[in-house]
Amino acid sequence: MATITYRNASCIYAQAETLAVDSLNLDIQDGEFVVLVGPSGSGKSTALRMLAGLEDIDEGSIEIGGKDMTGVPSKDRDIAMVFQNYALYPNKTVAENMGFALKLRGVSAGERRKKVEEAAKVLDLTEYLDRKPAKLSGGQRQRVAMGRAIVREPQVFCMDEPLSNLDAKLRVQTRTQIAALQRRLGTTTVYVTHDQVEAMTMGDRVAVLKGGKLQQFASPSELYDKPKNAFVAGFIGSPAMNLVTAPITSDGIRIGESTLELERDEMALLADAGLKEVTIGVRPEQLELSESGGVEVIVDLVEDLGSEAYLYTHAGAGIQLVARSLPRSPARLADTVRLRRTPDGVVHLFHPDTGERIG
Amino acid sequence: MTVVADTEADAGQKAVAERVRKIREAQDTGVSRAEGWRRRGPLLPALIFMIVVTQIPFLFTLYYSTLSWNLVRPGSRRFVGLQNYIAVVKDSQFWSVSFNTVILIVGVVLISAVVGLLLALLLDRAFLGRGIVRTLLITPFLVTPVAAALIWKTTILDPTNGILNWVLSLVGIGKVDWIGQFPLPAVMVELIWQWTPFMMLLILAGLQSMPRDILEAGGVDGANAFQLFRELTLPHLRRFIELGVVLGAIYLVNTFDVIYMMTQGGPGIASANLPFYIYQRAFLGFDMGQAAAMGVVVVIFTMIIASFALRLIFKSFSGKEEAA
Amino acid sequence: MTTAPATISKRKARKFSPWAVVAWIVALGFFFPVFWMVLTAFKQEGDAATSPPKLFFTPTLDQFKAVFDQGIGPAMLNSLFATGLSTLLVLLLGVPAAFALSLRPVRKTQDALFFFMSTKMLPIVAAILPLYVIVSNIGLLDNIWALVILYTSMNLPIAVWMMRSFFLEVPGELLEAASLDGASLWRSVREVILPLVSPGIAATALICVIFAWNEFFFAVNLTAVNAQTMPVYLVGFIAGEGQYWAVLSAAATMAALPVILCGWFAQNKLVRGLSFGAIK
Repeated sequence: MATITYRNASCIYAQAETLAVDSLNLDIQDGEFVVLVGPSGSGKSTALRMLAGLEDIDEGSIEIGGKDMTGVPSKDRDIAMVFQNYALYPNKTVAENMGFALKLRGVSAGERRKKVEEAAKVLDLTEYLDRKPAKLSGGQRQRVAMGRAIVREPQVFCMDEPLSNLDAKLRVQTRTQIAALQRRLGTTTVYVTHDQVEAMTMGDRVAVLKGGKLQQFASPSELYDKPKNAFVAGFIGSPAMNLVTAPITSDGIRIGESTLELERDEMALLADAGLKEVTIGVRPEQLELSESGGVEVIVDLVEDLGSEAYLYTHAGAGIQLVARSLPRSPARLADTVRLRRTPDGVVHLFHPDTGERIG
Repeated sequence: MTVVADTEADAGQKAVAERVRKIREAQDTGVSRAEGWRRRGPLLPALIFMIVVTQIPFLFTLYYSTLSWNLVRPGSRRFVGLQNYIAVVKDSQFWSVSFNTVILIVGVVLISAVVGLLLALLLDRAFLGRGIVRTLLITPFLVTPVAAALIWKTTILDPTNGILNWVLSLVGIGKVDWIGQFPLPAVMVELIWQWTPFMMLLILAGLQSMPRDILEAGGVDGANAFQLFRELTLPHLRRFIELGVVLGAIYLVNTFDVIYMMTQGGPGIASANLPFYIYQRAFLGFDMGQAAAMGVVVVIFTMIIASFALRLIFKSFSGKEEAA
Repeated sequence: MTTAPATISKRKARKFSPWAVVAWIVALGFFFPVFWMVLTAFKQEGDAATSPPKLFFTPTLDQFKAVFDQGIGPAMLNSLFATGLSTLLVLLLGVPAAFALSLRPVRKTQDALFFFMSTKMLPIVAAILPLYVIVSNIGLLDNIWALVILYTSMNLPIAVWMMRSFFLEVPGELLEAASLDGASLWRSVREVILPLVSPGIAATALICVIFAWNEFFFAVNLTAVNAQTMPVYLVGFIAGEGQYWAVLSAAATMAALPVILCGWFAQNKLVRGLSFGAIK
């Protein structure tokens, strides 16, 4: 059983006085595909490398399959890793790259060849087996890196932004291949990315990190619908959720010159919290154009994507709102329009100072 | 942000720094020390070898410099403290030779750096036979210095039959005894000939490691070739030129072969440099004490200059950044 | 491996641009003394020291024969021995040292490197006196082993410096990947790092060979007849042959030729080495 448990795991930066990873607690099930996501400097790569044994666990512990990994060197952890820059051995052929770990374990040449060829077939690398990495394209190298990991049949896959060096189209293609592969193999996988789209589409559960601290660890839909704080709310989803900190009025919040009305139970929550201001979050698809009511805004930019359109507007004093509308929308640059929440639109409430979710 | 939040943030930072400190403390003891030795292990043989072979002789030199000791008068060895040093300072020949040494090093390094730069610029563009040209140009650096000095002294600079005088006679200049009349310049020319390839290669490496697109950007911005060179190329090359100058100077401090072969330091000491002069004192004059004292003085001067130089190399080329 | 920034300039210079001509002229000028040395070696003495100098003559191998007859063999062997063995020692000592200084940096790394470089900066002339005394006291005067040890110490700093820069070029990720694949440190070094670094090590060895073969100061002071190397032999030859330019050129050619040829054939490695791995 390859469960992974981070218990209050921390790691300090080599030269600095701060923690790269701060008391991380994660409980990962056997066979789960977990994505660590966050902006640069969030500690996600460091957390992954701690798991692989490439960074020291300075505080706390990490367990794989129930066994504490403190002090266990990388080579004994039975983890395979796909690096961002692939780290293929330049002087070995593709077949040798993929078979290296098996060779180290003393697997016979015949058996090695068999396993390598199997993996190569899955990844469509059979015709490249005798080439050296220098003669491969970026996408091919990426597949070799994956192949090297698969052949080992490890208990855990670690992937450190494996798609970031690929062009956009290849990225989308490979994304689905990786997810399908993992589902077939059933190996516990920890995947690091800064791209929230990858996180949302590939992960069974996603851990959002910021500044070394875990923000929220939940399924993609839960992250999307119930973000635990303003950071997660603004990080997940594209275009990003509108986050506005505004003063509370008697029946809603004041945005610019207008008031965005809130439901009665939402007002009650705010009253309970005793706040004068609040940070609200509204997703672009939960704002729509209206004839009356809502917030008055001026259109700055219209992005017509063919299937839908996004209006980038501002409501005075630097408050920006993005709303989704039908394509070939009637709104144009510099128009003054009104936005209101859609009938089933959700407004998330966050504490204006801590960013924590209210209600 | 409220005031309360600020102090909370401060307290938060302090707590973090405290935890980091505790972690570091725990790391510094025990296990990591053994690991540290394991890491340093491969370094030790080389380090010990160097210490034994270089530092011990130098300590002896220090010792000898305090003795009055002439090899042809065995038994006359006795301790005289700093007397040798005073004699050295008073020795006008020593200063004149030191002056030669400085001229030699500065002149050779500067000129070969400039010529090397020009050659590197020439070789930076592709042209027919560039490979051969490069091969021809690095040859002077490969030739055994004594052999090269011999050829220069005889076939090139000889007053009667040397090529240089023959070429000059074609334009009407009379025969010049280069080695007799201009010994130091003659030696310097030979050294410049030998060291320019080294500078050229180093600077060429610098030129070829420069990204081309910034030159294109500069061109689009309206800079002409000279401006591009001065504003973009030259700053990039600075590191390489500095490295060449420092390394060249280090090797040139010890120049001996060429002087030995071409002029024997003469006439008199006109073309002697410090190593040659010390050699004369020690192995021809057998005055070990004096020679040792001079050696120490040279070392002190070199150390002063070297500490600047080393700082320069390390600033420009501190390994890890280069590998990033 | 990522691509390097533009290496060779592909500026479409016309092949016969005036700068190319200048380059050729300068190159020929620089090469001329070497050319003349080899040319003169094939002349009869009468053709050698003339004014105007002779470009055309009937070549002869007599000078080379004369040099051989005078016994250049032992000196050649001494040089080979001292150069080869000292270079080997430099690699044996230097590769691990460079490795320790690059891939597993410890505090004091800078200090050790500083120390190595500083030994190079101290004028060897300051050490020659006690070295002479020590060497003669332990009975190694006029013994080739003294030179082997001294050449090793002469080349070791530069070698460590150069090889360290080559080691630093190996991406750290490769070591991590090998470690995850289950390789011990020794195995990773052998299978992954050394193959990558071997061109750099070859370049370093070549530089060591050049400096060791051409070395004169230690050799002339610490050897006499038995252990003399080629440069010392050449000087002794002059004492005997004085103004006979042709035979002197032959001797000079034979002294210098091995290293020149080495440098030519391994030119790319030499260039790499000289630029201290500064080209990525």
